[in-house]
Amino acid sequence: MSVFAAREAAAGTGSPLATLPADTSGADLWHALGAQNRLAGVYRGNDPRRGVDPAALSTLLTDVDRRFGVGSTLAVTVPLATCLPLLAHGTGPATHTLADSLDGHTVVALAATDEDSGCDLAALDTRVTFDGDRVRLDGTKRWITNATTCGAALVLARHRPGPHFTNFTWVLVPADAPGVRAEPAGTDLFDGSGTGHLAFDGVRLTREHVVGGTGRGLSAFAAHIATERLAGALWAVALCERVLRDTARHLGRRRQGGGVLWDREAIRQRWAGALLRSRQHRALTESLTEAVAARRDTAAAALLKASAAETVEHVLDVCAHLQGAHGFRTGGPQQLRAQAALFGIGGGTTEVVLDIMAETAPLAGAGELP
Amino acid sequence: MNQPFIDLLTPFLPNLGDRPLTEDSRLHDLGMNSMKAIDLLFAIEDGLGVSLPDEDLNDTTFATAGSLWAAVQRAQDAAEGDRRAAA
Ligand SMILES: Cc1cc2nc3c(=O)[nH]c(=O)nc-3n(C[C@H](O)[C@H](O)[C@H](O)COP(=O)(O)OP(=O)(O)OC[C@H]3O[C@@H](n4cnc5c(N)ncnc54)[C@H](O)[C@@H]3O)c2cc1C
Repeated sequence: MSVFAAREAAAGTGSPLATLPADTSGADLWHALGAQNRLAGVYRGNDPRRGVDPAALSTLLTDVDRRFGVGSTLAVTVPLATCLPLLAHGTGPATHTLADSLDGHTVVALAATDEDSGCDLAALDTRVTFDGDRVRLDGTKRWITNATTCGAALVLARHRPGPHFTNFTWVLVPADAPGVRAEPAGTDLFDGSGTGHLAFDGVRLTREHVVGGTGRGLSAFAAHIATERLAGALWAVALCERVLRDTARHLGRRRQGGGVLWDREAIRQRWAGALLRSRQHRALTESLTEAVAARRDTAAAALLKASAAETVEHVLDVCAHLQGAHGFRTGGPQQLRAQAALFGIGGGTTEVVLDIMAETAPLAGAGELP
Repeated sequence: MNQPFIDLLTPFLPNLGDRPLTEDSRLHDLGMNSMKAIDLLFAIEDGLGVSLPDEDLNDTTFATAGSLWAAVQRAQDAAEGDRRAAA
């Protein structure tokens, strides 16, 4: 069955989110979704260990995208797609944090991007050192969704020098642990996302705070960021279709030369061209969803990420332009365009995911392309 | 090295060409990089049904075909031991 079928069936029905104001923050939205028991439902068999149920995730993201800003949608997407499935591979504190998160009580941040190394995760400097049954964490993470609102952060740190993928480990850090400092990122673009910077200065925790095993940091990141890339692709479908619909409605009402703008062939064709791109991305997402959700296919996830970024950029560019000055209203498509540039940056820039695609292509040209 | 292991490893080594894979084959020289090594770890864990222990997650394990095979065998023996203990 299509990954979008459940979403379409839900479109006509009332949403329990309808009572929340449009400027609800990501953290408050998380609490509400937990209280409505809607967070666990995003996973196969309500179990984050089994990975996401793409149809349920798509339905939730469509509902959230329709009602709230990009910042709040982002704040919900990152923990759902990445943090909770990662926590499900931990024990002790990770198990408790997971239960609190599924209930909506705790928001968890995913802190991978380091202050100095950015895209190049294998060069990150944040260090975890082991001392018997204790660990110590030092380093700085920048541009982290939910940094200022989280109850805990999953922090990617190195336990050994060097770029080898086995030199990295996840550590679960309570936001109120001594030595943790959070500050807002200083941007107007992602209201409600709690995006900010996290500093860890001699943070001491028990070894139980290591999540998923020592040395499994980058491999777990690759497996779970694939799900975040799928979530981004599903979100991009919802966002593009919403903006295309709004734009068609606007053009159908905007008077021009005795008719409306929509009567102009050139305008309709431009809009239809954007619809075509949106449909192409949707078809690609349909065809690769299972590979990512069920088989941890990192090349398929990279393809979806690149497609989402290009599609959102094109569709918003066309739709914002077609709305003229109206496009510049607060919350309109011009603002959305600036926010949605995130699709080409967050969770791996377009260059990085294109590199992954090229890397997995067969050298001899005889095998299957990704 | 048994045939299922060789079949599993070979697609991750674009520079192997027609040469035979030996225990001394250096994975990095044959085209294994970080991204491929992560996918190889997934393939070992999903395809062979074993989980490499944390102490084997290091660059020495992923240095040659033989060192990786030794780690896979240790993980298979440990899994077999667990199964016997549970039976
Ligand atoms: C709103 C927001 C929320 C975020 N949330 C999170 C989060 O929750 N958790 C988290 O860990 N991170 C998060 N990030 C960080 C995000 O993942 C990084 O911004 C991203 O990985 C890029 O890193 P950078 O910004 O340091 O870019 P840099 O590494 O400084 O790169 C800058 C530019 O250089 C180019 N470039 C870099 N590398 C290459 C390459 N190999 N080949 C070609 N060109 C290249 C690209 O054009 C890139 O955009 C968030 C970012 C934003 C803006």
